[in-house]
Amino acid sequence: MVKFRYLRTRMTVLYAGLFGIALMLVAVAVWTAINSSARGLVRDELTASGAVYGQLWESQTAQLGQGAAVLAQDYGFREAVATNDEPTVRSALDNLRARQKVDGALILGIDGYATSAGLQPDATAIATLWQGLNGGSIEAGVLTIDGQPYQAVSAPILAPVLIGWVVFVERLDQTQMRKLETLSAIPLSASVLTSSRGTWRDMAGPPSRLDGAVNKAVLSGGHPVKARTTEGETMVLARPLPSFDAASPAVLTLSYPMSQALKPFAPMFAALGGIALTGLALLLAGTWVLSRGLTRPITALDEAVHRLKVGEHAEVAVSSSDEIGRLAESFNAMAGDIRDREARLTHMALHDQETGLPNRLWLERQAALAPDAWVVLLGVDRFEIVRNAIGYDSMGQLVGSLGSRLSRAANDTRVARIAAGVVGLILEAEDEVNALETAARLCAVADQPINLIGATVDAVLTAGIATTRRETGGVNSVVDRAGIALDQARGAHLKAALFDAAAYGDPVGNLSLISDLMAALESDQVWMAYQPKFDLRADAITGVEALMRWNHPRRGFVSPDLFITMAEETGQIRALTEWGLRHAIADQKALEAAGHVLTMSVNISGRLLSDTSFADFALAEVARCGADLCFEITETAVIDNPEMALGIIDRFSAAGIAVSIDDYGSGLSSLSYLKRIRADELKIDKAFILTLDESSRDALLVKSTIDLAHSLGMKVTAEGVETPTALTLLRGMGCDKAQGYLIARPMALTGLIERLDMPALEGETKAA
Amino acid sequence: MFRFILFLIAFMALPGATLAGPLTVSVRDAAGRPVRDAVVTVRPDAGVPRGPIRFSWPLRVVQQNVQFQPFVLIAPVGAPVSFPNLDRVRHQVYSFSRGNRFEIELFGQDQTRTHTFTTTGVAALGCNIHDQMLAYVRIVDTPWAGKTDASGDVTIPDIPAGGASLKVWHPRLNVPGNESAYVLTIDAGAGRQTMTGDFSSRAGVR
Repeated sequence: MVKFRYLRTRMTVLYAGLFGIALMLVAVAVWTAINSSARGLVRDELTASGAVYGQLWESQTAQLGQGAAVLAQDYGFREAVATNDEPTVRSALDNLRARQKVDGALILGIDGYATSAGLQPDATAIATLWQGLNGGSIEAGVLTIDGQPYQAVSAPILAPVLIGWVVFVERLDQTQMRKLETLSAIPLSASVLTSSRGTWRDMAGPPSRLDGAVNKAVLSGGHPVKARTTEGETMVLARPLPSFDAASPAVLTLSYPMSQALKPFAPMFAALGGIALTGLALLLAGTWVLSRGLTRPITALDEAVHRLKVGEHAEVAVSSSDEIGRLAESFNAMAGDIRDREARLTHMALHDQETGLPNRLWLERQAALAPDAWVVLLGVDRFEIVRNAIGYDSMGQLVGSLGSRLSRAANDTRVARIAAGVVGLILEAEDEVNALETAARLCAVADQPINLIGATVDAVLTAGIATTRRETGGVNSVVDRAGIALDQARGAHLKAALFDAAAYGDPVGNLSLISDLMAALESDQVWMAYQPKFDLRADAITGVEALMRWNHPRRGFVSPDLFITMAEETGQIRALTEWGLRHAIADQKALEAAGHVLTMSVNISGRLLSDTSFADFALAEVARCGADLCFEITETAVIDNPEMALGIIDRFSAAGIAVSIDDYGSGLSSLSYLKRIRADELKIDKAFILTLDESSRDALLVKSTIDLAHSLGMKVTAEGVETPTALTLLRGMGCDKAQGYLIARPMALTGLIERLDMPALEGETKAA
Repeated sequence: MFRFILFLIAFMALPGATLAGPLTVSVRDAAGRPVRDAVVTVRPDAGVPRGPIRFSWPLRVVQQNVQFQPFVLIAPVGAPVSFPNLDRVRHQVYSFSRGNRFEIELFGQDQTRTHTFTTTGVAALGCNIHDQMLAYVRIVDTPWAGKTDASGDVTIPDIPAGGASLKVWHPRLNVPGNESAYVLTIDAGAGRQTMTGDFSSRAGVR
């Protein structure tokens, strides 16, 4: 079954097909009628012509017969024949032949001897003629002489008994046939055919094109028959003619090709065909137009459904009250419902349900439409505290009130709720200064206390501003940028701040930095630097602190503060520390080989103190190499599980590893640590040492810390010693070791070995 | 092709007798039907008597009702045959037969012409005016001759006993010369011969 894409195609094809079939039937009927009529006409004409020819044949036979008889009955002629007076006989034959205008005349004796005039028949023809005549079966008929059929007519010579025959022969040629053809009303073609060895041949000899049809025509008894020849269907009439040679019968054939008979009807057929085609075209066009009228509402519905599917406006004009009309009405109702629901969904997606204000998504869309504007986010300071104070419901009211105030203050600009305590709007401003001023002015709307259910609430607003003009700082969303700006404003204790990409840094870039770092551990980008520790009592360098350094191929030198903090925050610090520990131990061996026995200090993050497997690794490593290590515990990170950390530190101590408290005096260090950690060493933060020679307060703090450490049994190392004065002061305070640029900068292993070969206090003498 | 069946019926021979009994010859066509107007002649080996031959029938061929009468006439050689015209129309009698060509110019009612046939054989008679007229004159040189009647039989009496030749002639006998010859012995007493032949010759028929 054919699938139709459109209803109207289907209708058109159906109607056109039906009409086409009807047309075909009519055409067949007309053609059959005409064909049959033409065939009848030809048949009648052939029959009539056949009859006419029969009469012609008879009359010609009679005419020739009369001529022959005249001679045969002439007394003198008979006497001449009877007495074998050949010259006389011949002259008489010539005479009569000329008079009768026949092709040939001959005397055939009863003994078979022939005397001829004009045509000279061959012996075969004479024999055939004699057999026929002597047999008495035939007197006139077709005689073939030299392959050419002749009409032969005889008259007996009685003297008084039969002594022979006078025979006239007349050629049966095309001329005679043309004569016959002109007698017919239709241009039929006539021919005399003779049969030889089963094949019917034309007068001239070649096999006739009607060969196949003649036998059938002869058998039909003089009725025309249909036959297929080289000229197509042909009507053939065959009329047997008497023949002297029984083995070679002769027929007169009349034939007429049907194509000729149908030729006069060709214009009619053409006209009928034209009418049919025009009719078909009209029907096609008509059906198309009609079906389009019928299917237009359906098509409209179809298109409306498609529009509905892609979310466009879809309404069908209803013009009829039939089934399609009702369907269209239902569809319109349904489409309306869908539209309403969609609108509701859209509204919900773009609005905050609690306050009815637009939401963050809405603001982002608006911002995307304003290429040169400012997004201002205003946050309620100390939001959680306020919220906890007044409750969640009231907080929503508070934000709603603030939103409407801001809207009024900003020339009825719509205000969106971005987060629980943050609202935002889009601001047109000439420049940054103008934007900041406006934002600060907007913050002032909160100066008036807000009345909520009879109580007044004070709220303080801070504003963050970002421009929609360009993306900066790797933050895609302008609302995010404004949000960061809000945090930055709060951090800087400003009323309003612009987004500062530089201050924000590159958190995403940092994240990728860690993966770079872990990959770089295998290369020489990361290396260990060592900063010597000077023993003030021994006046010698007795130890070094191992410090990690990283030269990023693109970024260059990366601050250890940055990448170590990142490693701590992303959980990579253990792997990093293990790597550093292994290198430090190896380098300690290298120093030993170079003749320098030094205590190697390695920084251990406080985070690792809750990781027993790291402790296992470190202890195993130390035991394996027999290293003399000092673990400097940094306190940059919070120690989550103090009990476990203390246990691990105890294990380190038990294994002979010295433990040092790093950066004491800054950050999170507290006296409780000193109380609980049994450390061997305390390192005073360089913040105190750098200003030691300027601030007497610092000197007092350092002095008392040294005393405190000593009284707890710990050695004291001062970091950040950069001046000889500071060194002298520290020496006076009883500090045990000093570390800083005055002694040496952190340096690579080779540099360190060179440095160790020089006087321990090179820097001091230089500075002095 | 014809078949000749000979039956010899022996009679007691009388001593010194010179005359034998009559010979009856029956002529039949291929279908066994009797053939009339067949001329049977017998010529004894001993020869024929000298002197004029006389037959019991008149030697004349009458023209009556535009027909020759009789159709076949047996005439002795050298005897005059008369041609009386009993019709009111005139006739011109002729014969182109070899040895017996003659022509009797137009002659009218009740006029008689004669012609003497000098050669044995057959003269086919025609009338130059009336094509349908045809008759034959069989000229013989033996007195023992006769023609079959409607029953196809002819009886020839008084034939001398001994060897003889017998000839049967008929215008339609389909053999050369329309004549068949046989050899037989004539015995004393009556003899009977039956001759069967093909009588379908086209010549000699109108």
